[in-house]
Amino acid sequence: MSILTDDAQTNLALKGTLLEGIRAALNRALRGKADVVEKVIACLLARGHLLLEDLPGLGKTTLAKAIAFAVGGNFSRVQCTPDLLPGDITGFSVFNQKTREFEFLSGPVFSDVLLADEINRTTPRTQSALLEAMAERQVTVDNIRHTLTPMFFVVATQNPFEHHGTYPLPEAQLDRFAMKLAVGYPEKSDELGLLAAAIGYVDDPLIQKSVLLKGQLAGLQEQVSKVLVQPNLQEYLVDLGRATRVHPKVTLGLSPRGLLIWQRVAQAWAFLKDRPFVTPDDIQDIAIPVLSVRLGLAPDEASNIINQLLETVPVPV
Amino acid sequence: MVPEISRLVRRSTFVLIVLASFGVEVAATDGRAVGQSICFLSIWIVVAAVVAQFIPIPTDPRSKPPLWLFFLLLGLALAPFVVEPLRRNWTGDGYPLEIQMVCSFRNVGLGFSVCAGWLLCLRLACVTSLFLILFSVSMTNHPAMMVVLGMYTATGSIWLMIAYWSAFRSVFVAPEKTVTIELHDSCERAPWLGFSVLVFFLGLALALVLVGPRRASYALGEWMPTSGGTGATDMFARFGVGDGPEETAGDNAKAAGMVETDKMIEDNKNSLIDAVNDLYGPPHKPNEDVERMVAAGKVDVIQFHGKLPDNKRPSRDFDTGRKGPKGNPKPKSQGARGVFEVQGRTPLHIRLVAYDIYEPVEKRWLEARKPTGKLIEAQGGDWMKLGFLKPNDWYLADERHRLKVAELKSNLVPTPSLLMHFRINKVDKSDYYEWDYEGVLVLAGRKSIPPGVIVTTDCRTVDPMRLPKSAFGTVGGTNGTSPNLGDVPSIIRPEILKLAREWAGDHPRGWLQIDAIQRKLLNEYTLDLNATAPPENPAPVLWFLNESRRGPDYLFASAFALMLRALDYPTRICMGYYASPDAYDPETAHTSVKVTDLHFWPEVLLLDGHWMVLEPTPGYGILGPTLSLFERILDAFAFLIFWLYSHIIKFTLLFCLLFAGWIKRCDLFDSLAFLIWASFPGKTWCEQVRGAMAILERRGRLSGKARKCRQTMFCWLRESLLKPSKPDADLYQIALMAQWAAYAQEAPPPWSQPEVLNVCHRVLGSWTLKRWREAPPDFLIGDKS
Repeated sequence: MSILTDDAQTNLALKGTLLEGIRAALNRALRGKADVVEKVIACLLARGHLLLEDLPGLGKTTLAKAIAFAVGGNFSRVQCTPDLLPGDITGFSVFNQKTREFEFLSGPVFSDVLLADEINRTTPRTQSALLEAMAERQVTVDNIRHTLTPMFFVVATQNPFEHHGTYPLPEAQLDRFAMKLAVGYPEKSDELGLLAAAIGYVDDPLIQKSVLLKGQLAGLQEQVSKVLVQPNLQEYLVDLGRATRVHPKVTLGLSPRGLLIWQRVAQAWAFLKDRPFVTPDDIQDIAIPVLSVRLGLAPDEASNIINQLLETVPVPV
Repeated sequence: MVPEISRLVRRSTFVLIVLASFGVEVAATDGRAVGQSICFLSIWIVVAAVVAQFIPIPTDPRSKPPLWLFFLLLGLALAPFVVEPLRRNWTGDGYPLEIQMVCSFRNVGLGFSVCAGWLLCLRLACVTSLFLILFSVSMTNHPAMMVVLGMYTATGSIWLMIAYWSAFRSVFVAPEKTVTIELHDSCERAPWLGFSVLVFFLGLALALVLVGPRRASYALGEWMPTSGGTGATDMFARFGVGDGPEETAGDNAKAAGMVETDKMIEDNKNSLIDAVNDLYGPPHKPNEDVERMVAAGKVDVIQFHGKLPDNKRPSRDFDTGRKGPKGNPKPKSQGARGVFEVQGRTPLHIRLVAYDIYEPVEKRWLEARKPTGKLIEAQGGDWMKLGFLKPNDWYLADERHRLKVAELKSNLVPTPSLLMHFRINKVDKSDYYEWDYEGVLVLAGRKSIPPGVIVTTDCRTVDPMRLPKSAFGTVGGTNGTSPNLGDVPSIIRPEILKLAREWAGDHPRGWLQIDAIQRKLLNEYTLDLNATAPPENPAPVLWFLNESRRGPDYLFASAFALMLRALDYPTRICMGYYASPDAYDPETAHTSVKVTDLHFWPEVLLLDGHWMVLEPTPGYGILGPTLSLFERILDAFAFLIFWLYSHIIKFTLLFCLLFAGWIKRCDLFDSLAFLIWASFPGKTWCEQVRGAMAILERRGRLSGKARKCRQTMFCWLRESLLKPSKPDADLYQIALMAQWAAYAQEAPPPWSQPEVLNVCHRVLGSWTLKRWREAPPDFLIGDKS
């Protein structure tokens, strides 16, 4: 039995089509990683930023580019190196000899999808250039505020800390990411498929095909923000957040901004499952990617500690 | 807020319970030596402190205490009851049952405090200490109690500070750094099982009191804390908390205190001083030196060193002596509350008049003759001994009573039956006493006994079951028993004899025969003070025995005495006072006997010359021997066995029912819960689904497939039951409904209410407890996908 009106059913069908399109595009770019792709879409719909941490060559950049193409936005890429300067990301003012005025040359941050590749290879000073952009979707250069696009989405990739020539991201930067994902090695069958698909193609043209029209992503994001979260679930979220602050092994407890992001991602997760309300299962499903980026946990202990926290706080029923 | 369990908290908890234990000892001493009690307590504390060294500290304070802890606490709880008999043997002193219970509780508290590593034990230890200190404070006003209370308060404050230090710290440290949270290990559950057990036992106790055997009712009555008891079964039970010290000392009739006076050497003739007064007038009493205060200026007082010259004195002065406020003009009653007060165990029969001849024409008993010969010997220390009685080994320990005369209008010296020794202060010659009847002692040559006189008596106690057949003489036998004592009027003798033989049955001569008749009267006849025989009836006793089967106590006594006479037992009946245990006053620890306590009872003559009291009247009892605690327990156990044996069929059925109920308790509770849900499913669809899910969850828990703390209902059902190979549409539907009911209450439900109810009914009907249990182990909750 359906209780939805015709308009609502139309919207629902459209939503399904769009989401399936994004899923297909991203899965094509990143084979055999449907769970990662699902979380990436959730992050995108929750208006969060994504940090991909894994070894080189696992498809992080490919995935970021596929996202940019799929959502139909502008794509910029910054290859972070130790000599990169903040102005290289945000842009800078130059003196125009003709007009006798300073002109602002916008940096790569002025795009819909920004790929900050190997972000932890650049210095903390340069990393901090993204703080304002990620949190407020604006950039201030020479005391002039420049607004970014509403769908501004940062996909940063980083190599594990123990690799040579890396600078750990500051906590303030980490807290601005919605989630951290590891891509991981694909299965054997997926790798075989990958090789087979590469024969005869210089580049996959389907990956560069846009799925969403302009404004459709914003529509989806608006729908996500309306997903119902009952007060008992908000209390559950707060209890979990407070539990992180008293856990002896957690060096940095969950911030209120982190709580807000967690709720948004949970809404997006419920939205992806065609459910108009959030359940504790949604909160638990995305707990590890959301919390591991911001709790200051050792990478090998993160999932254990987060699971421990989830086991401790009873779910509302 | 969860208290921190540091070593300091555990130790301060131990100190709290120790202080509360001291408070209990102070409250329980009740006139006893405090030092001895404290010494006993110290032994317990030392034992607890030693035991504490061997108790491990759990790594997780919230973990469930181990099972051995239960046995440790049980042992500690039972220990005072085991130690008490030994203590009574060694020290001669003892605690009443209610104080033993409190001591048992105190031991449990000590046990909790030594296991305070577990949060549950810590909390229970604190609650126990609080109860004990409140109990102590409310039970006594001993000055030492205030000291103990002060120390307890101080220690309690320290405990609070240590236990909640993290919360206190938040006052001084930035709040964002001191966030605390209460974590729940498991979902809260109402303690239904404990509550049910409590209700069951309370109901059982109430049923025993109301409809159970009388003896059990008495026993349960004495379990009531601070009842003080009546002393009927345990001599220490009458000195419970609140007993005794409120008695008023003094020699006026109203004073219940057993304070010996010189009443008996007071003379109403004029003394020498009175004669002198008559001759020379009363002695001169100079006026008391009255202090006076003078009002003057400060300068004058300093100048004249406080002695003002006359010209400086003001014209007014006033007396510093003041009369107090006028008392209540309404005179208080100076009347005593009874004829006399009894200190000692009751029930007690105090003879006043003895009757030995039944006059058939006038249908009344005639008073017995006054015995010849004194047979009372002075023993020293004002004690008198009855010299004519032969010693016998069938008696048990003597019982001492003190009877304080209040408003006795005759010269009767109130004494219980089976009297051996007695004493009145300053009355040191046997000539002052004489016998009015056999066993009825009076003061010779006096019309009344003055108020305030205390009679101390030692009387024998006897267990009739131990009396040999030879203890009962025969009428006109070799022992010179008067033939009057076996006289039954010839008109009624055949019928009386027939009844007596019928009732005695096959029992041999002796106590069993007497007891058989007595039981018949006690069990089948009713005490009714207004049921008197018609005046024209020629034989009221036969009317009572055959027709009315109810009557006042004298008919019971007459009938019993005549029946025993028909069986050749020398008997008589007596009128006197009956000191009832019901009249026991816990405040004074006395039993007051009033004029209205007059009673009739029969007595049978024993071969050694004692008259043994019999009691065929329902509602009255006889003072039995004092039994030791062990004997009482054995007695109670034997009685219990006998009682159970006499109701063997009922108890077998009850046991089978209880056993079956216990085995099937889970199914019973489940059925009951389903019945309640089916009757009252709830108003909204959310309530209906929640109720159904609660039943499902309980079934899962009972079958070992409980929901985990982090699992939602949907997740739990999906992972435990909803296997892809065996899809159950209804179960899936109810799982969805549970999800909506819990997390989308504001959203419009996609189901109609009847549909919800139908699904719930179908799921609860199909997923029974049995089916849950039969679900294979791989249906248990797996990893979250």
